[in-house]
Amino acid sequence: LSLNALFEQATDAAGRLLETDVRLGVTGLRRSGKTVFTTAVVENLLRGGRLPFLDAISSGRFQAARLRPQPDHDVPRFALESHLAALTGPESHWPEPTRGISQLRLSIRCRPSSALWRTVQPLATVNLDIVDYPGEWLLDLPLLGQSFAEWSAFTIGLAEREPRAALAAGWRGWLSDTDPAAPAEEDRAREGAALYTAYLNRCREADCLLSILQPGRFIEPGDLKDAPLLTFCPLPGEARGRGTLWALMEERYEAYKTNVVRRFFTDHFARLDRQIVLVDVLGALGAGKAALTDMKRALEMSLEPFRHGAGGWLDWLLGRKIDRVLFAATKADHVAASQHGALKQLLDGLIGEARNAIRFDGAEVETMALASVKCTETVLAEHEGRTLKCVRGVPLGRDKPTVLYPGDIPEDMGALAAADARAYRFLSFRPPDGVGGDPRGLPHIRLDQALQFLVGDRLS
Amino acid sequence: MTVRDRDWVPPLELDPADEAVLIEETDAALPAIPPPPEPDAPRRAGLGRWFALGLAAVLAVALGFDTADLLTRAFATSWTLGGLAVAGLALAGVSLIGMVGREFLNLRRLRRIETLRAEADRLQRTRGHGEADRYAGELAALYSRRAEIAPAMERLRELVTDAHDDGEVIRLIDREVMTEIDRRAYQAVVRAARTTALVTALSPAAIVDVAVVFWRNLKLVREVAALYGARPGYAGSLRLLRRMLANLAVAGATESVHHVAVDALGGTLAAAISTRVGQGIVNGLLTARVGLAAMHLCRPIAFSPESRPSLGHIRAELLHLPKDVL
Repeated sequence: LSLNALFEQATDAAGRLLETDVRLGVTGLRRSGKTVFTTAVVENLLRGGRLPFLDAISSGRFQAARLRPQPDHDVPRFALESHLAALTGPESHWPEPTRGISQLRLSIRCRPSSALWRTVQPLATVNLDIVDYPGEWLLDLPLLGQSFAEWSAFTIGLAEREPRAALAAGWRGWLSDTDPAAPAEEDRAREGAALYTAYLNRCREADCLLSILQPGRFIEPGDLKDAPLLTFCPLPGEARGRGTLWALMEERYEAYKTNVVRRFFTDHFARLDRQIVLVDVLGALGAGKAALTDMKRALEMSLEPFRHGAGGWLDWLLGRKIDRVLFAATKADHVAASQHGALKQLLDGLIGEARNAIRFDGAEVETMALASVKCTETVLAEHEGRTLKCVRGVPLGRDKPTVLYPGDIPEDMGALAAADARAYRFLSFRPPDGVGGDPRGLPHIRLDQALQFLVGDRLS
Repeated sequence: MTVRDRDWVPPLELDPADEAVLIEETDAALPAIPPPPEPDAPRRAGLGRWFALGLAAVLAVALGFDTADLLTRAFATSWTLGGLAVAGLALAGVSLIGMVGREFLNLRRLRRIETLRAEADRLQRTRGHGEADRYAGELAALYSRRAEIAPAMERLRELVTDAHDDGEVIRLIDREVMTEIDRRAYQAVVRAARTTALVTALSPAAIVDVAVVFWRNLKLVREVAALYGARPGYAGSLRLLRRMLANLAVAGATESVHHVAVDALGGTLAAAISTRVGQGIVNGLLTARVGLAAMHLCRPIAFSPESRPSLGHIRAELLHLPKDVL
């Protein structure tokens, strides 16, 4: 071993010491666009041509970004290439819903902005770790703070109100026939769980876009399909004695919490540095007021484990590491650019309480309207003597562009109350053809500002 | 809700094949600059103003009498002298008119920077959509003949999309185009601060200091204004002038203080050098402050808190001065 090699090794080790890791938590309910967001962020950072609001790039300090082997070897790699192929291929479409967890590490090299650091280290490396997972699983997190009795009461209460009551008819019938204090029978438990799962699935398919669907693994089991862990359902009443159905269900609920939820949380969310919460405001708006209220509730619930700072029941896991949280209304390209302000305000109203709580804990919070992949452009159209700001793009399933006026976005939820159900019409557009050929990266709306807020300080 | 009731349009889908419905957006067509806003009605003139007005009238009359008297006497002495006096008077008059005319021209351009600035402010505050194109067009017209800014303008054209709101477009202009000019202006300020510092440190007489500071300050303001393509507004000019006069006073005073200080310190060579260097640094910093103030006043988009230029770099530069002097 020559002295030279030794020296090189030492420099290498020192360089690794000077690398910083940023764990970005991309959180969002199902179909809020987590996978597309991750794909667009990585692709745009790899190409670096469309991010003028990212300081490191606009000041010319950004060197390059590359994919690197991820830190956790037991987690599948994020299928960036196939997602990109879906978005940019000849028959462009959105990636399939995520079924399992995956991870990606992107290393960004840039020159430090301070002259002092530059003398120590001419090139700084920042490793951006992003985890992708089914959004259904996010709503498991609030279970950590709830006992079986509490969760049951909440869920049954929810199922008794419209629009869920109709969807839950089958399961509620089973509930009324069932005595929680009866001796535990495996068949009975399996029957209940199956009916409950069917109810959750019906909620998921429903037009009114319901968000609160717990537990997440019932509808998106991942690798737990048919495991006994998933054979329980909420039961009314207080704790019953040993050997009863209630006790069996409670035991399984607790096991689900420990083996599934807590592991998911500690492995992927406990060590986050930054968090982005993607919210499909437009989807909920199109589905009506009930969907918006449900989504608001679901968001607040799913943020709870992240939210408590000092003294929270997850403090031992969480520390106080997430110091910046960005709430983003996704799919902003579904409306004209002049509506983005209203969209942001609507999101502000939707997450007001959660945001206050996070601010109170000391983290910085920002909201914006963004689109990970911009599929439309804003055009002016003349209609019955009036000028309307519309979007033009190719809707999914069609091959000709259309011009759509989706309706004016209200600025606050109060204005929604009187609006009739069909006041808005949103179409799902597909990525424009030839979007992958641009060497500058995928077109987007405010992705660069989101990145600047989330990781900009680490890149300087 | 009332707005919705009256103007509400149900969501609808239009057929783009029917070209007639789409309005082609006019692309930053460099439209005419809007007239500056009418100034507020002048405030009720105070007694002081009447006094000044009266005094000025009396002076003008006296000056007229004196001039007429002078001319008469000159012609009485000889026709040649009279001719010379008339020629001198005409020259003075014409150049005065020229100066005033130039001031007016300047003032008109100034107005423009002020409206540009007010417009940028408004666009950033209201965050509407679609109005910033016009602003960008006006700026493009202002910098159309500047080769060094063309690449930045080109980049800006590429980066701005239809999804950016007005505030974002202004911020992009700020980041892509203005920072380029800022960099050049800052270099000019650093250069001016250095030369002023060096020359005043080496110059032997107070009058030389004052002359150098005055000339360099004036030149710097002109350079900065030329870089931004606009001169500072009327109020801004006054503020700059006041600051420059203060610098002159300091330049004169430090030179006198220098002698006292050297005497007090025992008149050694070290004392002489150190006070001279100190004097140079002070003058350099003051010049830099004039330059930075000029940058603030000439910029079409007000500095954001992050992009605000600071004295820090200049200070570091000036601390190298002792090395340069020795």
